[in-house]
Amino acid sequence: MALDKPLRDYGLQSERLLMPTKASSFEQEVADLEQKVGLTTLAKAVAWAQTNSMWPDTFGLACCAIEMMSIVGARYDIARFGMEPFRGSPRQADLLIVSGRVSHKMAAPLRQIYDQMLEPKWVIAMGACASSGGMFNNYAIVQSVDKIVPVDMYVPGCPPRPDQLIEGIIRLHEAVKAGVPPAYELRSVAS
Amino acid sequence: MYEGTPGFVEERVAHGETTVVVEPAQLVDAGRHLRDEEGFNFLSDITAVDYLGWGKAGVSGYIGTAAGRDLNTPMTQGYQVVPLAKPKRFAVNYHLLSITESPRRVRLQVWLDEGEPVATVIPVWPTADWHEREAWDLMGVAIEGHPNLKRILLDDDWEGHPLRKDYPLGGEPVRFSGEE
Amino acid sequence: MTATASRRTGAPIYEGTRIPSPIPTVLHTPPGVQATGDVQTINFGPNHPSTHGVLRLIVDLYGEDVTGVEAVIGYLHTGFEKNMEQKTWWKCITYPERIDYVSFQNNEYVFVGAVEKLLDLEIPPKATWMRTLLCELNRIHSHLVWLGTSALELGAISMFWYAFREREQILDLFELVTGYRMHTRYFQIGGLAEDIPRGFYPECRKFTDWMPNAIDDYETLLTRNKIWLERTEGLGLLSAADAIALGQSGPVLRASGVDWDLRRTQPYLAYHQVDFRVPVFPEGDVYARYRVHMQEMRESVRIVEQCLDRLESMEGEPWIADDRKVVLPPRHELHTSMESLIHHFKIVTEGFRVPEGEVYYAIESPRGELGCYLCSDGGAKPWRVKFRAPSFVALQATATCMTDALIADMIAIVGSLDTVMGEVDR
Repeated sequence: MALDKPLRDYGLQSERLLMPTKASSFEQEVADLEQKVGLTTLAKAVAWAQTNSMWPDTFGLACCAIEMMSIVGARYDIARFGMEPFRGSPRQADLLIVSGRVSHKMAAPLRQIYDQMLEPKWVIAMGACASSGGMFNNYAIVQSVDKIVPVDMYVPGCPPRPDQLIEGIIRLHEAVKAGVPPAYELRSVAS
Repeated sequence: MYEGTPGFVEERVAHGETTVVVEPAQLVDAGRHLRDEEGFNFLSDITAVDYLGWGKAGVSGYIGTAAGRDLNTPMTQGYQVVPLAKPKRFAVNYHLLSITESPRRVRLQVWLDEGEPVATVIPVWPTADWHEREAWDLMGVAIEGHPNLKRILLDDDWEGHPLRKDYPLGGEPVRFSGEE
Repeated sequence: MTATASRRTGAPIYEGTRIPSPIPTVLHTPPGVQATGDVQTINFGPNHPSTHGVLRLIVDLYGEDVTGVEAVIGYLHTGFEKNMEQKTWWKCITYPERIDYVSFQNNEYVFVGAVEKLLDLEIPPKATWMRTLLCELNRIHSHLVWLGTSALELGAISMFWYAFREREQILDLFELVTGYRMHTRYFQIGGLAEDIPRGFYPECRKFTDWMPNAIDDYETLLTRNKIWLERTEGLGLLSAADAIALGQSGPVLRASGVDWDLRRTQPYLAYHQVDFRVPVFPEGDVYARYRVHMQEMRESVRIVEQCLDRLESMEGEPWIADDRKVVLPPRHELHTSMESLIHHFKIVTEGFRVPEGEVYYAIESPRGELGCYLCSDGGAKPWRVKFRAPSFVALQATATCMTDALIADMIAIVGSLDTVMGEVDR
């Protein structure tokens, strides 16, 4: 079931989709996946419900955590996306925003928290340190959190502005609405 | 100015700071003297420094190391002046502050060889607890008499002491940079 | 110094008469309580909404009483110090900011100040005043984050939104000057990286005119609030002698009755030319630390206003030192002067060299005495960098402050110590 019209005509809001001159294979990837996945109306409804109340877990580690707290603030308000209840317990959370540098000592708790989350669950690697180790290419920092958990969305920045993080979250929502499965079904952790 | 300190070796003044070097064996007595007689009641910081390889980075005037010129290795520039040799491999600096009417700072310094332990100053300044654990954890300076000498910043089963000069930086080679 | 008694049991404040016997940094359950078999060990794990970052507290609970506490840190250890040994002096400046990620300008300044001390470099007054202004704005920013998160944990949830509303205004000011909200990397060795943009002074004035009203709002909500007083008064007692023995500094020390502020006793930047008061409260409890933070915010606004008054008269002055061995020459000179070209080349490729020596430079960060120990071997990279983090030392006092606390009080006490785990673990 290929897309019969571009994603933006489905009413999705991502800035990249509204600016087609920016080179992107995002639409093509999503179209390919939709073809393979074959969404039904029920699945679309479930995906809509999941994205509109995807509650994050409080996994703030370092500087990115402060910017993550700003998106809960009144200016960059993620309550309009249904995400302001940051759950303290991973068993009640859908989304793990790994915000900050992950040291080797923290890697085991991170995996434990990820395992305690119930499916379906998504992971956003926020910031340069979570995406690739950032400026800390050394003995103490895990070089990218995708060595520990499968990641759905990487948000670059040091720290990313709150609106950049929201852009990442919205793209994740659109991927989910388009039928892209969570990362643990697509790939395992990096090596 | 602090010649009366027990175990006094020498005193240096540079950049407006006074460094008092004492023998490691009399560190606790020196600390007590400075705290009670001179009024340094506040221990700011304990810093251990590893001087392995001090002064070997190159000779002034040439682009390269003492071993030869290598344009492809960045940052292999030499010194203007080769620095003076240090007495031993490790130095442990105790930065003291006097929270009194006349605020002053002083640095108490001891020199240690590899493996030589230093006495704990917790009886003098109780705040030294975690600082000494960190010195042990990251630099491998053994502290005698510490009530709880475990690793503090690294995993309990970590091997090695990362801040030593013979411990590699670690991390991953960056692709397309020639490091792989 | 008046002694306060614990609100719950009436036990007197911890008096620091136990030197030379050590003050414990781990609270152990008394054997009598342990023998009842009712003690439960709970892990306040690294991932917890109320521990201000990745702090792990292993807590022994007897009912709701906290009888044993041990702090385990290191979950954010980044190896800053070893990383900085591999970078040239310029490239190092981006690292210290991320150590205490809430008061980043202060961290940047302590490193830059230490290098300038080793270099014996003279900084132009415009840069000094602007650095003072930014460090004070950062102090307000740090206290706002502390207020928002601490109040949130104690249940005053709406404080988070109010505090972050003002915080966004401060970050707008940072963005106006430096181009980025956090981790601005605006301080350069020798002064500032760029000149102060036009339009900053009126915007900053708008902020300083509004901020005292905002602080009044916060105080109206909390200072005489019965619930807030119940939850913070008489908790986390720390006597002055204990505080000095445990190495506390900053608001924790001033809330224990010790009148000590590095901005006044060992002034740096432009603090000796600025008029401000240092708030000191004698009670030594969580409420006193709250009052110290609020007063410090007011004083910081006054300092910012005074800096603005001075800076507005300094239009057109240089913002960075003139020493071409250390500071890049202005771009237009590269077309005409051969020495400028060579200096630019050497500084950018090899990096400048800092003469051999060691220095310990300490400033008053929002959390206390932030110190940077630098050892240079005369080369282009540091030999050893060590940061004395106030939060690292503050966490040592957790066990001492936790005498007859309930589990809910423990959150208040750990919050009041104002720790940032990036600083603790470095």
